[in-house]
Amino acid sequence: MRTAPFSPADPGLADLADLGPRSLVALGIRVTPVLASGWVVTVLLALAAGAGRIIAPLTVQRAIDRGLAPAAVTHALEVGAAALVVAGLSSWALNRRVQRRTERALASLRREGLARAHEMSATTADQVRSADLVARLTSDVDTITTFTQNGGVQMITNLAQLLLATAVMAAFCWQLTVPVVALALVLLLSMTRLQRVVARRFAVVRADVSTMQGVVAEAVIGAPVIRVTGTADRMRAQLDEAVDRTRSSQLRTLVPLHGNTALGEVAISTMTVLVILLGVGWTTHQQWGPAPDLSAGQLVAMVFLVTFFVRPLQFLVQSLGEAQNALVGWRRALELVTTPSAVVSGAHAVDLAGGPVGVELDAVSASYAGGPPVVHDLTVRIAPGQHVAVVGESGSGKSTFAKLLTRRIQPLGGEIRLGGRPLGSIADAALERRVVIVPQDPFLFDTTLGQNIAVGLPDVVEADVRRVLGDLGLADWLAELPDGLATRVGVRGDRLSVGERQLVALARTALVDPDLVILDEATSAVDPATDVRVQAALARLTEGRTTVSIAHRMATAERADVVLVFEAGRIVQVGHHGDLVVAQGPYADLFAAWR
Amino acid sequence: MSAVGRALRVLARGSRDHPGPAAVATTAGLVNGGTMVLGAAAVGWTTDHLVLPVLDGRPVGAATWWAGAGVILGVSAVRCGTIWVRGVATGRVQHRAQAATRRAVVRRYLHLDLAWHREHPPGRLLAHAVSDVDAVWSPVQWLYFALGMVFMLVGALAQLALTAPALGTVGLLLVAGVLVLNVVYQRLLTPRARDGQAARGDVARTAHESIEAGPVVRSLGLAGAEDARFAPEVERVREANTRMAAISAVFDPLLELLPTVAVLAVLGIGSRAVSAGDLTLGSLVGVCYLLLTVSIPLSVLSRFLSILPLAAAGHERVEAVLDAPTATYGVVGGAGPDGPALLEVRGADVVRGEATLLHAVDLTVEPGTVCAVVGATGAGKTTLVDLVCGQIGPSRGEVLVDGRPLDDLDLARRAATLGLVGQSPFLFSTTIRDNLALDGHPREGLRAYTDTELWTALEVADAADFVGALPAGLDSVVGERGATLSGGQRQRLCLARALLRRPRLLVLDDATSALDPRVELRVLARLRALVDDGGPTVLLVANRHGSLAVADRVVFLADGRVVDAGTHDELRERHADFRDIVSAYDGGRTDDEDRAVLAG
Ligand SMILES: Nc1ncnc2c1ncn2[C@@H]1O[C@H](COP(=O)(O)OP(=O)(O)OP(=O)(O)O)[C@@H](O)[C@H]1O
Ligand SMILES: Nc1ncnc2c1ncn2[C@@H]1O[C@H](COP(=O)(O)OP(=O)(O)OP(=O)(O)O)[C@@H](O)[C@H]1O
Ligand SMILES: [Mg+2]
Ligand SMILES: [Mg+2]
Repeated sequence: MRTAPFSPADPGLADLADLGPRSLVALGIRVTPVLASGWVVTVLLALAAGAGRIIAPLTVQRAIDRGLAPAAVTHALEVGAAALVVAGLSSWALNRRVQRRTERALASLRREGLARAHEMSATTADQVRSADLVARLTSDVDTITTFTQNGGVQMITNLAQLLLATAVMAAFCWQLTVPVVALALVLLLSMTRLQRVVARRFAVVRADVSTMQGVVAEAVIGAPVIRVTGTADRMRAQLDEAVDRTRSSQLRTLVPLHGNTALGEVAISTMTVLVILLGVGWTTHQQWGPAPDLSAGQLVAMVFLVTFFVRPLQFLVQSLGEAQNALVGWRRALELVTTPSAVVSGAHAVDLAGGPVGVELDAVSASYAGGPPVVHDLTVRIAPGQHVAVVGESGSGKSTFAKLLTRRIQPLGGEIRLGGRPLGSIADAALERRVVIVPQDPFLFDTTLGQNIAVGLPDVVEADVRRVLGDLGLADWLAELPDGLATRVGVRGDRLSVGERQLVALARTALVDPDLVILDEATSAVDPATDVRVQAALARLTEGRTTVSIAHRMATAERADVVLVFEAGRIVQVGHHGDLVVAQGPYADLFAAWR
Repeated sequence: MSAVGRALRVLARGSRDHPGPAAVATTAGLVNGGTMVLGAAAVGWTTDHLVLPVLDGRPVGAATWWAGAGVILGVSAVRCGTIWVRGVATGRVQHRAQAATRRAVVRRYLHLDLAWHREHPPGRLLAHAVSDVDAVWSPVQWLYFALGMVFMLVGALAQLALTAPALGTVGLLLVAGVLVLNVVYQRLLTPRARDGQAARGDVARTAHESIEAGPVVRSLGLAGAEDARFAPEVERVREANTRMAAISAVFDPLLELLPTVAVLAVLGIGSRAVSAGDLTLGSLVGVCYLLLTVSIPLSVLSRFLSILPLAAAGHERVEAVLDAPTATYGVVGGAGPDGPALLEVRGADVVRGEATLLHAVDLTVEPGTVCAVVGATGAGKTTLVDLVCGQIGPSRGEVLVDGRPLDDLDLARRAATLGLVGQSPFLFSTTIRDNLALDGHPREGLRAYTDTELWTALEVADAADFVGALPAGLDSVVGERGATLSGGQRQRLCLARALLRRPRLLVLDDATSALDPRVELRVLARLRALVDDGGPTVLLVANRHGSLAVADRVVFLADGRVVDAGTHDELRERHADFRDIVSAYDGGRTDDEDRAVLAG
């Protein structure tokens, strides 16, 4: 529910680097509540599973303590077997339960992540490499699955077992339990210290993986350029560097990570010795304090109990690496999901009145990523239904003007109004499909031609697509395609020529029939004959709609109602072609160069 | 061989490739396994010699106390050391092997045919390079641990058999049971793991595509539609993972609890042996302890085995990349002669899939001339350019440079000969300097360019002004695909990059489309001057007057065929279609008038 998302320097993604593990988990649960749903049952199952695992040493202890009397052994076996069945069944149920919930949470994390990638402010999106966003939706989330599948669930059982073992041990012989638990606490404390180092190093790993994905993406997308310039060696060096850097940062996690595991091992084996020696010593040296009174069988059982305390601890220690990796992956995914949405909606958002849209700019300036302003003091009035051409030298701020109108960037100062309403408070839903920009390099999805044209409107039928192509004078072109509308256009429209891709984008826009259409060199690659034909058709189709065409082809300006001439980030001339061409100024120069 | 068998072979190869850390990890793993057996023995010994006597009230010497503590602690110390060493060495093998495979995969991307690239979305290629490679080597983390555990199992079983043959059988049954369970587990897991990996690839592809589509998603309000498209793929990953989990939910507890079952069995059998006097209580305790300890190695073994199907799936996908055919080039190398090149295309057909994009194209561009290619949208101009630059091969006919087939030239020679400015400008997300210089001068042993050379090239491309105005100048970083520049600025940098390399044949595919008329005119005039000055032969795709005015000859392409070639005026006279295209914007000016504009 945000309105007026106009902040001058937009930050990147949310930064959760300083969040401790506990707050991170809390945040994770808030984002995907399914994780913690029904936790009571989960805890009960874990306790049952843990309890079942502890019964065995107890039965052994009982049997041995009773001198292995046949009746005692039989009884012990029955109880033990029953306990195992309980343990098995509840482990099974727990596994299913936790993994299902985790996977459901991860699925919604991915979906929300992608949704947020589309909702975040365009400036934020521009600051993050797309490969990084992809990493946060894929490999980062996968680390959590890897973790739950390889020990995460056992970690819960083990935790339950640890608690139960402590309780049983304490009931059995508190004198020996106190030092064991104390040792465990010392261990835990020292491990969390080291674990912080490990966490930092894992964060470096994830960041390096994301950088590496960026380099790989560049190598793949830039393949034609790399090939023709024969610079595979250069790219290879970069790829190697990125891969090796990831490897090095992975290797740097090893020493502290396994140091931690080994440390845990020392403490753990000390515990067993402690129990044996202390137990025996204490029984014989009553002067040490309120001595435990242990039989041989009881001491052995105590050793077993310690094992059942120690083994889960050992397991937890061993799983720390995966857990840490998963935690970092989770953090990165959550950073994407918790990045503020720039979508304007809710009670404060205003609607855009129906019909053609008028545009007003008052003293608008804009800059990119906190840099110096690239457009200054833009003051413009575009009447509803007017056809405006924007011309000017390359880099003069024409596309920036277009981005301002479509809220792709936010003004540094001044005000923009569409249909009389401040642009910043118009609901996104009101702008969708009503204010549409057609860029020079439109994006085509890797599906069919027909689907690419119909993409803006879910419920159009094929006839509508054919009609719009016909209206634009492209029926002949369609007829020549062997598969017609079912033609697959390839990755990013690669199987079409560049001009054809632009035509598809035009058809897509014409079908959506927006009230304000901004063409940013939308036909730059289309041959002049087709361009003239299509533009004329488009003008007919968008009759009465407001149109802003940015073009280097001055023919567009000749036909426009009004021409805006940009120079060095300012509008320096406004008027009709006929007037401007005879006046001294940049327009006349541009036109002369064109002619 | 089964997929899992292949995965095991890959692991063996990985160990061989990194013999140092692999040997250390194996040794540490084995010693570690040994310490676990010794640890059980030590506890048994302490029970018999220390605990029981003391509790019975028999005197025990201080030496026994120290021995008991020493043995247990000593074994622990060794175990602790081996855990650390094994962990670090294992990680070395795993991450090095990962990096090696990853390098092989991404390097392969650099050498695969461009046609292959066209069929493989970048998002999926990312998944191969990251998640699949990770999967291939993930079992390594358990490999040496598991090896040590196998060693320990054998030791434990031997010890068990020595202590009590009947109990040894229980142990054997236990191990056999675990192995059988694991084999079944694998069988069930393999297809599910494969589905999972495939689904992950699809998620990566869609995510990448959707994020790249950001602007159109916003503009047309497609967020809902994108979610609807993404959801089923996310669901497929979820289902695959959940189905894997459903299997592991059964097998993991089963494998984990089996040893405890064995303990109960041993208790049942052993108690009788103890009462009969065939077994000491200490031995029975030792055996129980051993069996409980055995559950650790068995679970490690199971974890190792259960991760193999995923590795196998990753391996299949990685192999598919590594086995794909690479682009082939000729062997003629060196920088080649100097001066403008002669370009000939003879009877070339280009077929892609079922479509014939070029039909018997003939084209000759004399050295030191400018040839323009004119044609409607989709006529095949870019296809011709790709053919001439060796980006795609002809299915019939040939391309000759200086009379020598382009196919004979190696990549470096091609790079030293040809310069291409593509229709969609592409810049790397690095500094302007790096974007221009790339590897260095291809015609002069890849030497570094001087700043003067860089600025001269920028000057010709009319880019010097705006680059000079940037705060960091040549060292400004341009963002992903040059996102921080305007369209025309990007295009001019691409032009400068091509010029800088001093190609003998410069190919411009609509390379001035994003420039305003004034800049375009300046660039074209400088280009013409360059050619007249002994510069490159130029083939340029263009439909507008300005470009045609600098051309010596014009080739008219329609529907993938060369319709005619000649001067601008000749073609205009002979072909109405041609006239339509080049004169659509104006009343039909002549070449001479154009030249006058250009000169003035
Ligand atoms: N994302 C960005 N980050 C930083 N600077 C930018 C960004 N996009 C554009 N600029 C700068 O802003 C200025 C105006 O760019 P803009 O794209 O508006 O120019 P333009 O008039 O559309 O040019 P062209 O005709 O070449 O498309 C340029 O100097 C450009 O370098
Ligand atoms: N992989 C492919 N499979 C099938 N058809 C293709 C493929 N690639 C391109 N085409 C088709 O080949 C034709 C020629 O494409 P090309 O890119 O060469 O055109 P062009 O003359 O450069 O057009 P433009 O002026 O729009 O750039 C187009 O009709 C296009 O749809
Ligand atoms: Mg622009
Ligand atoms: Mg083309």
